[in-house]
Amino acid sequence: MGKRLLWSLVLSSVLSASWAQAAEKTAIQVMHQGDPGFVAAYGKVAERFEAANPDVDIQFIYAPHDAYNEKFSAAVMAKQLPDVMELDAPFLANYVWSGYLQPIKPLIDKDLLDDMTESNIAQGTYPIDKDLYAIGLTDSSVVLYGNKKYLEAIGARIPKSVDDAWTREEFEGYLEKLSKLDGVKWPIDTFRGYGIKTEWITYAYGPILQSAGCDLIDREAWKSEGTLDSDACVDALAMMQKWVKNGWVVPQSAGTNQFFAEGNPAALALGGHWVYAEAVATMKDNIVVLPLPKFGAKGASPNGTWIWAITKTSKHPDIAAKFISFLLKDKEYRAYVASQSGYPGLKSFAAESPLYANGGPMAIAFEQASKTAVSRPPHPAYPTITSAFMQAVDEAFNGGDPKEALTSAAKKIDEDIEDNDGYPPFGDGQ
Amino acid sequence: MSDLALSIPQARTARLRSPATVLRIIQTICIFIIALVIVSPLLLLVVASLKDDRFQILADMGSFRAYWVSNPTLSNYAEVGHLSGELAFGRYLINSLIILVTTVCSGLIVNSMAAFVLAWGSFKGRAVILSIVIALYVIPQESIIMPLVIMVSRAGMTDTFAVQIVPWVASPLYIFLLYQFFAQLPKELLEAAEIDGASFFRAYRSIFLPLSLPALATVSILMGIETWNQYLWPILVTQTDYARPIAVAIATFFGQDSIYWDRAMAASVLMMIPILGLYLAFQRWFVSSFIGSAVKG
Repeated sequence: MGKRLLWSLVLSSVLSASWAQAAEKTAIQVMHQGDPGFVAAYGKVAERFEAANPDVDIQFIYAPHDAYNEKFSAAVMAKQLPDVMELDAPFLANYVWSGYLQPIKPLIDKDLLDDMTESNIAQGTYPIDKDLYAIGLTDSSVVLYGNKKYLEAIGARIPKSVDDAWTREEFEGYLEKLSKLDGVKWPIDTFRGYGIKTEWITYAYGPILQSAGCDLIDREAWKSEGTLDSDACVDALAMMQKWVKNGWVVPQSAGTNQFFAEGNPAALALGGHWVYAEAVATMKDNIVVLPLPKFGAKGASPNGTWIWAITKTSKHPDIAAKFISFLLKDKEYRAYVASQSGYPGLKSFAAESPLYANGGPMAIAFEQASKTAVSRPPHPAYPTITSAFMQAVDEAFNGGDPKEALTSAAKKIDEDIEDNDGYPPFGDGQ
Repeated sequence: MSDLALSIPQARTARLRSPATVLRIIQTICIFIIALVIVSPLLLLVVASLKDDRFQILADMGSFRAYWVSNPTLSNYAEVGHLSGELAFGRYLINSLIILVTTVCSGLIVNSMAAFVLAWGSFKGRAVILSIVIALYVIPQESIIMPLVIMVSRAGMTDTFAVQIVPWVASPLYIFLLYQFFAQLPKELLEAAEIDGASFFRAYRSIFLPLSLPALATVSILMGIETWNQYLWPILVTQTDYARPIAVAIATFFGQDSIYWDRAMAASVLMMIPILGLYLAFQRWFVSSFIGSAVKG
């Protein structure tokens, strides 16, 4: 009986000691998305961080990419916002305006802040207070991939830098020639297969409008009517509609890989930087990376990707920031991102990425970041802006009138802004 | 050669040429084609899961090569099985099975009880309650999902198995289905049970429930499929892999930049097996419930 009592005492003291140890740990919740490779990479970074900070417990909340916004809304409603959250850069203004995020400049390691590229700073900055709310290791861009064999066959000019990108006339001329070339089923894959439930349309096609001399919204008056439905925008959308009507564009039903699919049925691809890793696996040296064409007087390319922010409800913003800084500096994580053709958002990461360095196969893509990158409208109404624009493009691609589609989109955007009294302090400036 | 010997092939030829036989052959061919169309997506899924190159899977789509694999491999299954930590598929699969079994079992009890009371209970307002139940069926899940999230989070239920089971146990559709079945059974059964001294609950448990096996099998299968395929709700109300089902885990393969078709296909096949098992287990009663409903006048 005495022995049993002794053992009970020992066991209970061990249990309470371990419970006390667990209770002493500070839990940091990190909400994120990503494919299995990234999920595993984050897990390993957390293990290393916890080893270096034994009093911290990193708890991941995974939300699939296609349901991320719904998960975020549920977290807001349930008052269960995590400490750290990954967010898609164009939605930052909406989140800051709604009061979910806190400025991170005073919290993040200074060497990381000094290391950010201009485009990276832009994607994490809220334009009203010009404060930094999020930071990432990476940024993103879209380029024009070309099948070298086909381009040589039609005698196409190969631009060597962003400055000598193809003009609209050159681009459309090449599309026509490629449509008549043996082996080419479709002159260009614009990745319509991504559908209209992702950001792809606004992200990739928006710059075509901007290059043509218009925009999704007037970025000073924050009014869409008169801008999105302007002649320049209608002309740009009609141009894209013509490509579809002519059968030059890979249809949505054919999937998203016809540029590097077997037999290479598509000669060009308007694709994200991430396509390079997939394409090079099957096409080897038969790829050329070109800057996005100039559809008007100037070039334009997209930027922005998933970046890390700290929520206003976080009880431990200092530890949350410490984790973000640790993640962005982690060598193994950086090596993994580089292996996935991650687009540099930090200068030091660019130096570690031969793919994007001068003379590298994706150097032109990185050149776009400093010369032609245009952020998506950094406005709290962005969720409405993107949804309305995506619907307009989809309508036009399915045979609708571009003028009507854009007019209706512009109206929807302005109505949303009016319904929210101009999203003050944005509205105050009007 | 006798006349009889000559007449046999002639009779067979005549039979083959008869309009009824020709019609039957055409019917069989049509049924075969329809069956092939129905089965083809599943076949594509299984074949694709045996291919070792995700780019090849995509390249083959749209042609008959999608249904053929020259060098089958189980490497995708091995990769799905080997994933650990936050992506431990074994864990997700067990979670799904726990949620499935608990939801279906408790759903059968709750819905059948409700249906029986609505069909044979002796209280005022039964018709009104039944109308409300039917009216509830037309409310889309999407419209109540966010208020429901707030409710379960206030109740402290997030990240539990219960949060994925309790809200979906009682269902207007299944109450109505079972109500219809119970209501079709003769009232004499209940009267005889009462004469023998059985309570209302005893009549439900010992007489009406055993007679309702086809209807219960139908509800089990429908409820099982619905529970197994739940996707958005588990994402909204769970945080970690503690109670998350496999449908959420499969979504990991559909990344922002690329889709891991090879592993997604293998995981989808694994996900399909338990629900196929459920269907096979209840198939006999499921089919008989349809036949029963078809022959009733």
